[in-house]
Amino acid sequence: MASGYKYIEAIEKRAGLLGICIAVMVSIGGLAEITPLFMKAHSQEAPAGVKPYDALRLAGRDIYVREGCYLCHSQMIRAQRFEVQRYGEHSVASESVYDRPHQWGSKRTGPDLARIGGKYSDEWQRMHLLAPRTLVPESNMPNYPWLENAGIDGGDIQARMRVLRRLGDPYTDADIADAATAVQGKTELDAIVAYLQGLGTLNVDTSAPPAAGTPAASGQP
Amino acid sequence: MSTFWSSWIMFLVVFNMGVTFFLFLWGQRVKIPLQPDGTTGHVWAHGTIRESVRKLPTWWVWFSASMFAAGIGYLILYPGFGANKGVLGWTSQGELARDVASNNAKLEPMMERLRTRSVEALSADEEVIDFGRRLFLDNCAACHGRQAHGNQLLGAPSLAAGGWMYGGDGGQLLASIKDGRRGMMPPFAETFDKEGISNLANYVLSLSGARHDARMAAAGQPQFAVCSACHGMDGKGNPALGAPNLTDDIWVHGGDQATIETTISHGRTGTMPSWGPRLGAERAQAVAAWVFANAQGEELARKRNAKK
Repeated sequence: MASGYKYIEAIEKRAGLLGICIAVMVSIGGLAEITPLFMKAHSQEAPAGVKPYDALRLAGRDIYVREGCYLCHSQMIRAQRFEVQRYGEHSVASESVYDRPHQWGSKRTGPDLARIGGKYSDEWQRMHLLAPRTLVPESNMPNYPWLENAGIDGGDIQARMRVLRRLGDPYTDADIADAATAVQGKTELDAIVAYLQGLGTLNVDTSAPPAAGTPAASGQP
Repeated sequence: MSTFWSSWIMFLVVFNMGVTFFLFLWGQRVKIPLQPDGTTGHVWAHGTIRESVRKLPTWWVWFSASMFAAGIGYLILYPGFGANKGVLGWTSQGELARDVASNNAKLEPMMERLRTRSVEALSADEEVIDFGRRLFLDNCAACHGRQAHGNQLLGAPSLAAGGWMYGGDGGQLLASIKDGRRGMMPPFAETFDKEGISNLANYVLSLSGARHDARMAAAGQPQFAVCSACHGMDGKGNPALGAPNLTDDIWVHGGDQATIETTISHGRTGTMPSWGPRLGAERAQAVAAWVFANAQGEELARKRNAKK
């Protein structure tokens, strides 16, 4: 083993070679942990009966992203008792199949929104987006008054749907053709409320009842 | 996980641990040629710093060895080595199911009471009330407020003042919670002119003895016949329709003249979502019990204050 020292010396004296060796060893972790899940995520299929976002909800989703809602709200209920107690059944990957990018995350200044759909009325959502403190006095969520007056460009939504179709979302020609009329006269507020009301209601398979003993019904404290 | 990705992970894990383990063994044995001065001959800072040769400390060697043992032990016990499930068979789903089951077991005695007793009976059960209050704060307070005093801007009724829109007995409370409510008052801007609506608003104010213009109220009284279809001839409301009582000082949307005029001209709609699917039967029962107990408490407090 006496001659082996020359290899150690070669690495020790060349910082570049040392760097490359370190990069190789460190990236093994990523190759083992990230690559297989990454490939699995790409082969994920939508739950039974779940369709890609309709025109209005798609517009709402993009507003959600634009306004940075994800900076305070996650859409990922973890598989832990205290999470499912408060928010309902834990999230699964298939629910975010049509989200690009997905809105998971662990940053929660506000509550998780993965199951917010139907929890409050449309009117509540509208008032709350415009001025949260009229409903929840201790809230620190900003007001979003401009949503009420901003319209939605139907042509723009159609273009987005065509891009999503190219990425693999199953939009039909009719879906795209109808999109312009679907968002006609709607405001950004209408769109984001429609999007929120679909979270946990329209992106999950509702045909199968939750397994006994798991959240939804029995999840609360 | 497919066989390919499973083998991919296994290969990388073995490769990584193999390389590091080889370095761990070899690094300690490799012979380092010494210079006459007893150093390796590596110099820094123009010879001021020279590299000497020391054996690795024993504690470090044992510590590193134990890290290898811990890593291998982990891969044997838990999932991680490709598709291997680990001898403990641990899954996050399994852990969740165990946690939920043990929590449910703790709650079971109370759940049994929630399943078998009436809302009225449960409203005296301290444990149930505390449970119901927490659920209320998490789910209902966003509209009805943390004190259950309602929100007139939204039209969420107070649950503390009596004056129930749909009835305040246990059965009605439970029905409101589980199935939700959809209230609708039609707009009357087409039926009455502006003056007619002002007259009517004054008559409505007079019903609860609020400040009003007596002349206008008298002019509005005959028109109230239209309203009486839902609110009753005497204005006391109709819980079957969710038409509120107009003769008390409790208002869903607000009891000043301008708000009443808006209500009459534009009508009102209100939605209480159905909570049955979200809460489940037992928890809905607990919320109803808290709302019932809370309203009773407020009632008693009001009577006590009135006596003083």
